[in-house]
Amino acid sequence: MEVKIVVPHMGESIVEGTILKWLKRPGDRVERDESVVEIGSDKIDVEVPAPARGTLKEILAQEGATVAVGKAVALLETEDAAPARPKTEAPPEPEAAEEGEAKEAKQEETTPRGRRRITPVVAKLAERHGVDLDQIEGTGLGGRVTKKDVLPYLEGRRSTQEAPEPKRKEEALPTPTPRRAAVPSEEEPVEVIPVTAMRKAIAEHLVRSKQTAPHVTTVAEVDMTRLVNFREKHKADFERQEGISLTYMPFIVMACIRTLKEFPFLNGSMEEERILLKRYYHIGVAVALEEGLVVPVIRHADRLDIRGLAHAIHDLAERARTKKLTSDDLKGGTFSITNPGAFGAVLSTPIINYPQAAILGVEAIRKTPVVRDDQIAIRHMMYLCLSYDHRIVDGATAVQFNQRVRRILENPLELIL
Amino acid sequence: MKEITYLEAIREAMLEEMERDESVFVLGEDVGAYGGAFQATKGLYEKFGEARVLDTPIAESCIVGVAIGAALVGYRPIAEMQFADFISCGFDQIVNQAATLRYRTGGRVAVPLVIRAPSGGGVHGGLYHSQNPEAWFVHRPGLKVVAPATPYDAKGLLKASIRDNNPVIYFEHKGLYRRAKGPVSDEDYTVPIGKAEVKREGTDLTLVTYSAMLFPCLAAAETMDKEGIEVDVIDLRSLAPLDWEAVFQSVRKTSKLLIVHEDNRTCGIGAEIAARVAEEAFDDLDGPVMRVTYPDTHHPFSPPLEEFCLPNEAKIVGALRRLASY
Amino acid sequence: MSPIKRQPLDKEDLLRMLYYLKLVRAFEERLSILHRQGKVLGGIFSGIGQEAIVVGTCYGLRPGDYICPLHRDLGAFLVKGVEPKHLIAQIFGKRDGLSRGKDSYLHSGVPELGIFGSTSMLGSNLPVACGIAYGFTLRGHDHVVLGYFGEGAASMGDTHEAMNFAGIHKLPVLFLCENNLYAYSVPVEKQMAILDVADRAAAYGFPGTTCYGNDLLAVTHATRQAIERARRGEGPTLIEFKTYRWHGHSEHDKAFYRSEEELLEWKSRDPIPLFERYLKEKKILNEENLGEIVRRVEREIEAAVAFAEENPYPEPASALEDLYA
Repeated sequence: MEVKIVVPHMGESIVEGTILKWLKRPGDRVERDESVVEIGSDKIDVEVPAPARGTLKEILAQEGATVAVGKAVALLETEDAAPARPKTEAPPEPEAAEEGEAKEAKQEETTPRGRRRITPVVAKLAERHGVDLDQIEGTGLGGRVTKKDVLPYLEGRRSTQEAPEPKRKEEALPTPTPRRAAVPSEEEPVEVIPVTAMRKAIAEHLVRSKQTAPHVTTVAEVDMTRLVNFREKHKADFERQEGISLTYMPFIVMACIRTLKEFPFLNGSMEEERILLKRYYHIGVAVALEEGLVVPVIRHADRLDIRGLAHAIHDLAERARTKKLTSDDLKGGTFSITNPGAFGAVLSTPIINYPQAAILGVEAIRKTPVVRDDQIAIRHMMYLCLSYDHRIVDGATAVQFNQRVRRILENPLELIL
Repeated sequence: MKEITYLEAIREAMLEEMERDESVFVLGEDVGAYGGAFQATKGLYEKFGEARVLDTPIAESCIVGVAIGAALVGYRPIAEMQFADFISCGFDQIVNQAATLRYRTGGRVAVPLVIRAPSGGGVHGGLYHSQNPEAWFVHRPGLKVVAPATPYDAKGLLKASIRDNNPVIYFEHKGLYRRAKGPVSDEDYTVPIGKAEVKREGTDLTLVTYSAMLFPCLAAAETMDKEGIEVDVIDLRSLAPLDWEAVFQSVRKTSKLLIVHEDNRTCGIGAEIAARVAEEAFDDLDGPVMRVTYPDTHHPFSPPLEEFCLPNEAKIVGALRRLASY
Repeated sequence: MSPIKRQPLDKEDLLRMLYYLKLVRAFEERLSILHRQGKVLGGIFSGIGQEAIVVGTCYGLRPGDYICPLHRDLGAFLVKGVEPKHLIAQIFGKRDGLSRGKDSYLHSGVPELGIFGSTSMLGSNLPVACGIAYGFTLRGHDHVVLGYFGEGAASMGDTHEAMNFAGIHKLPVLFLCENNLYAYSVPVEKQMAILDVADRAAAYGFPGTTCYGNDLLAVTHATRQAIERARRGEGPTLIEFKTYRWHGHSEHDKAFYRSEEELLEWKSRDPIPLFERYLKEKKILNEENLGEIVRRVEREIEAAVAFAEENPYPEPASALEDLYA
């Protein structure tokens, strides 16, 4: 039976030994425990005894060679038959997966319905950048959205926002590059305007609105002739009595309120998993200021008559212009109306005043040739552009709303009811 | 730069500091003519004489106490514990005497003392020649604790420890003495106490470790790299004070943390790191803080038993993969 | 060891030593009262009855010499030069106490005056005493270190490790054992199988002697002889002082474990009247200068207590400071 002679353990930190001197040659007979070789380390030198009686068969390392502790330096042919050895298994490869294995099994179960596992850093990123995690595909355990999923999503979003709406195929999408300030020169002069807090706030508000609500704008064409004539007739008296001018806005507000009662979803707002239908009517009326658009709110506008509405609108506009609006004036609106028509616009696609469900853009009233009873007539026409949140309001409802407002404005006597 | 072993680096540090400053002296069992059980002090006795390389009786408490006394009257003693396991025999002098002297004198004294202790297992040492007792001392205010992994760090940190005016416990891993070889500068340099080092850069996972575990960690990081996952490997080097900024910076970058140490699991350094990261970097985490450690048991003598317990490259890779896929 | 040679002490020294005896006694008595008045928190370990030891051993030390006292050696602080006011402030935990509030009682020591403060682990001061002494020998100074311990601390491992080490290296350490027959409540026969701790010195290779601890002159002469031996480089000496404490282990201890008879016996051996009688017979002490000493001691104690009472507490957040240099 062949037996190995190995470099012995020579101290806790010793890893190798050097063959100093062979005391026996191949072919020599050796007794058990007889010294065969001298091996040295920088701590000690040892004489290695033969593990059994036999003949030195082969020397595997010569004098001067350095061999690792535990490795064979010679082979000994013993006289003993190979004893029945207990089966020694090689120490099993340490399992790669062991610590926390039970935990891992738990994680891989499908997460309970409706519960998403969101880690702190993912929650932080989602909040900071207004990310809807449902929009992102998760590559983590159990489909979890990870930080590595969110970051590229944000990058991608930044680049798509730079493309104009609607996308024109001729123009290549601008690649997202860090915005470098344009270096002004004589040929290309640049004036730098610092962004005010107000503009920043408006900007953030608009971005949030657009990113949250899928906007669709539907247009109704209103024949305002009756209302125009009515106003012509009464405006002088009104001004004398009320001290303020009579505009179309009070009529439009009232028409809207009437219609909102019939189409409550346009007076709603969307939260995580539910839609809130407001049963009160705080109507925001946009006022254009130099610094930007503000939308002060007429609270409980449904409790006011035409004169009341007129005064409320006037008051808010005055205060807006003289910077006397309070934060309460701007909060709590349920529906908004904007008036680009005042500046001559004929069509617009207003941005919803988040978190409301819709906004009505009132355009310019123009004398326009239209067909009535198969004949050309000149009528005072005005477009109503309703932008709505398509999550809350579907197309048919929105169109019906718009048409209803139109019909009330075309038949103003309905406002009496 | 020259290539030397971890042991040679430690010896060089002591030699250079003893040449530089005659208040530095060594004391311990067998450190004199014998050169130390691991030969760490070989040659010092011949060079500096028996007063400065003092062979002591077997009396760890006395060794530490004498070192404290000498430190009080202007010396910088290096007290050697023959094995870190024996440090428990001098425990009272370390934690109640050395660690409190500055505090109880209202800041009037300093104790510029180094206790060198060969720690670590994987050397068939059994229960009393394999321990990693660093956590006990990191826990005690008033002490500094360091644990280098490379020859460069071993030399620089020992010099820094000797020059430091506080009691420093210097854990040198006995398994690294001759196995770790690396470049060491000829210049007089120190490695600052309290600063970790990024031994390998990565952006996907953070791996924090120290002492001998650095090597299986680096090997594991290499394996992960081939799988497309880059691991930021941080070698703490100092345990008290610990370089928290380095840990947080990496966690902010990767959001995933694995801690590896050879010491037992419960209340090891990993537990403190995990707690603090959860407390102060919660919002940066994209996965649980994990640890690969020795289990809560002793160091058995029989090789397959100890193998079973010791952290190794395969176990570290397993943990890294689980963390990466979370 | 050769019989103790008595060196003459001059008149100034003797009166000064009486002053210290009186100061230590008055200080400790005042402390006891303050404690019972609830003004002192924490442990007070009265050395009343053992004053001859702290005065006899510490008087006349050089500034460079070190002492390593234990909890009952408050008097050593005063003799080595600590002002009473700082010691009372220390005991009150005030800002200008020796520890600046960090530790109680004698634990801080006073490094500037060569006083090493012990921890509560008895005997742990002795290896440190050896380290200080070793440092002195490395520099070739002939300073000495006085390491105090009770017969109770003589059972701790550190005591033996220290004596062993000191014996090997012939360190200039005095091992001063105050055997007051009780370690808290445990009588000496339950602490050791021998009668005299001094016998142990031979086991460590240096001389040991017993000494009557209530005789100030005996204490002084025995200590000086040992100090001269140490300064000459001849190594350590163990002196065991036989003595007795009048109060319990601490002020909380009623000390019912000893008999009234025993206490009375030892009270009759009060070291202070013993010394006063000697001085009177030598015509050094009279009514006048005794009165001066008594009044001076009273004034100093009053001023010290007043100082400590007015002294503010340290900033609470200072609990986090002074850990690292």
